Amino acid sequence: MSNHLDEIKNAVIQGRHKEIEDLVKAAIEGKASINEIVNDALIAAMDVVGQKFADKGIFVPEMLVSAITMKKGLDLIKPLLKGKETESRGTIIMCTVKGDIHDIGKNLVIMMLEGAGFHVIDLGVDITVEKLIQTVEKMKPNILGLSALLTTTMPEMKKVIEELNVRELRDHVRVMVGGAPVNAAFAEKIGADAYGKDAVEAVEISRRFVGQTQRFLL
Amino acid sequence: MKSTSHNLIMSALYNGRKGDRPPAGNPTSIVCHGLMDAAGVSFPEAHLDANAMADLALAGHEILGFDTVMPEYSVHQESAALGCDVDWGDRDNMPDSKTSPYAEFSEVKIPENILEKPSLRVVLDALSILRHKVGDRVAIFGKVMGPWTLSYHMAGTQNFLLQIGMGEKEKVIKMMRQMMPLTITFARAQFRAGAHVVVLADHVTGDLAGPYHYQELLLPIHKEITSQIGGPLILHVCGDCNDRLDLFAEAGFEAYHFEFQMDAKEVVRKVGNRMSLVGCINNPQVLFQGTPEDAYAQARYAIAAGVNIIGPECAIPLATPLENVKAIVSAVQEGY
Repeated sequence: MSNHLDEIKNAVIQGRHKEIEDLVKAAIEGKASINEIVNDALIAAMDVVGQKFADKGIFVPEMLVSAITMKKGLDLIKPLLKGKETESRGTIIMCTVKGDIHDIGKNLVIMMLEGAGFHVIDLGVDITVEKLIQTVEKMKPNILGLSALLTTTMPEMKKVIEELNVRELRDHVRVMVGGAPVNAAFAEKIGADAYGKDAVEAVEISRRFVGQTQRFLL
Repeated sequence: MKSTSHNLIMSALYNGRKGDRPPAGNPTSIVCHGLMDAAGVSFPEAHLDANAMADLALAGHEILGFDTVMPEYSVHQESAALGCDVDWGDRDNMPDSKTSPYAEFSEVKIPENILEKPSLRVVLDALSILRHKVGDRVAIFGKVMGPWTLSYHMAGTQNFLLQIGMGEKEKVIKMMRQMMPLTITFARAQFRAGAHVVVLADHVTGDLAGPYHYQELLLPIHKEITSQIGGPLILHVCGDCNDRLDLFAEAGFEAYHFEFQMDAKEVVRKVGNRMSLVGCINNPQVLFQGTPEDAYAQARYAIAAGVNIIGPECAIPLATPLENVKAIVSAVQEGY
């Protein structure tokens, strides 16, 4: 059984997206548990991919393909979850702030967060403060992730945090920020809870915020 | 050597005589609200009208004191000419492309009259106006996008990178080879129009792609481009590119424009005499959020490190205080 899991894990790490569905099917037929396939193969693989990315052993092209491979595997498993109680590691709302349409960094963070078992709500790009606040009120996420590539749109992050304070929502949601022009000093200055320099750090921060003791139970 | 702005820049590009001070140059935009106000010209007019474009570039020399004039402020002139739907922005927002017309990697047809498309013609006309106005006193910089960046615009950045990750090497190289003639044609036209130097921006940045991607996919194309363009070229690539400096130096560019996140001393040590260096004053923390003293200190550090031409690391944020940009010029005026 562990052979099946190793094969799935390696396929995700190597981005062998054309093979992943057959491998997952074989693992299911081989009586591997869904829990093992998700936690010990798919999620474990993305942890390895994330570390390789952080170490500059791989770059965005390879990371994108690994993420797609993992998603194909997860999509195959989803129908098997119907009727079973599932629990994610937490809910995270992600977006690129108003005035900014750049989304590769945000998308990578989302892929890694989903790969780590979080439920991610992707609001997209160019998102107004008002829309964000409405979504936070409605979805009650554990974490709000804000991305900006432009120095001109960085101030939008501050506006979001100010509005969370005004609406008395700030104590109920952790805010993490990221993007090329952003750094830890800026995050602290605007009152964010954390700055993530890349997708791997975003996952580490999210795990810390939500708590690592929770396992992705299926 | 007469220490005119033009001579200081051209000599620095070839690592020649130093004159009485290092030059301040801007391969990328130094336009901010303060400069627009001082020049009486604003975005988006300065992207679309040749006189407005030239006037704003000239303000970089006459008001800020830079030794260069560079009239291209966006990265979307070529993509607009190739059919992308470009939003030219406004006083507070830089232009952006809203569509990727070749997301399926279909055959790209470059029109024979591409240089007459308004977004390219405006740059050529602005360069001619500048040459008429400054002659050979000030160094005139043109700018073109390289095949990698143009492929981002044609196919979509994430899509282009995904194809690379999926090993679609032929598809990726074919797209870039279709773009290459435009890069060469536009650069040659800019020299003919009056540019002394052309900046070639190709964003194979360390934030997105690896050195092995550059070596396998783009370096051979860059070598062909540099061999087919006679005038001096400055390569601009954002991000941390420490791991590919040797490859850039192989490509045949006269200079490389780099970011502050790469230590200037280390970059000078690695590159040696193989090409000149331009940069590298930090944008987000120093020019945008810092003080004139911060900008001055970074410029002096870059001069001491041996960077040949001193300027911002990339296009500056539009809300950058004018005084912070002027501090770069104050630093070079003190000499070596």
